[in-house]
Amino acid sequence: MTSSSAPMSLDDAKQLVVMLESGDNQGAQQLLDKVNDTNSVELFEEVGKLTRQLHDSLNNFQFDERIANLANEEIPDAKTRLTYVIETTEQAANRTMDLVDNCMPIATKLNSEINAILPEWKKLLSRQLALGEFNVLCRRLDTFLEEGEAESGKLNEFLTEMLLAQGYQDITGQVIRRVIELVKEVEDSLVHMLTMFGETESLKITHISDKQADSVKAEGPILDAANRDDVASDQDDVDDLLSSLGF
Amino acid sequence: MNKNMKILVVDDFSTMRRIIKNLLKDLGFTNIQEADDGSTALPMLQQGDFDFVVTDWNMPGMQGIDLLRAIRADENLKHTPVLMVTAEAKKEQIVAAAQAGVNGYVIKPFTAATLKEKLAKIFERLG
Repeated sequence: MTSSSAPMSLDDAKQLVVMLESGDNQGAQQLLDKVNDTNSVELFEEVGKLTRQLHDSLNNFQFDERIANLANEEIPDAKTRLTYVIETTEQAANRTMDLVDNCMPIATKLNSEINAILPEWKKLLSRQLALGEFNVLCRRLDTFLEEGEAESGKLNEFLTEMLLAQGYQDITGQVIRRVIELVKEVEDSLVHMLTMFGETESLKITHISDKQADSVKAEGPILDAANRDDVASDQDDVDDLLSSLGF
Repeated sequence: MNKNMKILVVDDFSTMRRIIKNLLKDLGFTNIQEADDGSTALPMLQQGDFDFVVTDWNMPGMQGIDLLRAIRADENLKHTPVLMVTAEAKKEQIVAAAQAGVNGYVIKPFTAATLKEKLAKIFERLG
């Protein structure tokens, strides 16, 4: 029913004029009733259509497979993935530190051996070494070179393993990227829901007051310190702030 | 600095506890114990004669800031120096920690030199 459509057809109108001129009031009334009935039927049809649409979209929203899937599978799956990231990074950090623990004594031993041999070696170079001392130095050097070969080989092996242990970054990076995609999708669904139920304003207000109340709440590593002026960007910032407080 | 002092390292990540412990060992401290959050740390502190506490902020259970407040509120523990080593870097948080009576505040990631400097400062001030 648009405003541009005629309230009754031209034929009906002409007939109505004829009936009124001839004094047929009863006929005119019947004709008017008939025209009104047609309009009402159109209105009812339109309301019916809207009701069906609303019903369908509510149903669709409720049974949207994507949303059900997000809630039932993907969110728990994301939790598993993030737990996996924690475990993987923990393993890699421990593996690396184990390898450092293995390397340290080797490096210390090589260093102390060299420090022990060096003075004798310098004496040899400046021809101040007695024959007896020379023999001792030779045996010591021989042992050092043989052990050194094996030990430096081990160092090489440990360092290579350490290098490989850093592969966790690639794996966890991929996992985190997928979780970010999921979060984006959840965000889109939530925005869609908000537009559908139109409560953006009241939600915004609660969000802000939450934020105000929790300014001292733990937030974890700051990922965008450079873009924020409410955080200390490095240790110097912290020290400046504390000294301004009398520390 | 007394190298035999008893130190409690509180962090929920075992890797971070290990890193701090190793750095402290490098500095010559060997008497180190660990706890994974404030609620584990507090009874340990109340029972053992710890000389120093290094704590994270963000932990499940009892957070580092609450542990700090609990230490300052406890008659027997209130003089124990506390160093906060945390990724929490909001200015309001640092101010809150200072008001709660923290002795030093180091943000992660940190270097061995920073940790050493802050430790030295704390003990220098304590005399």
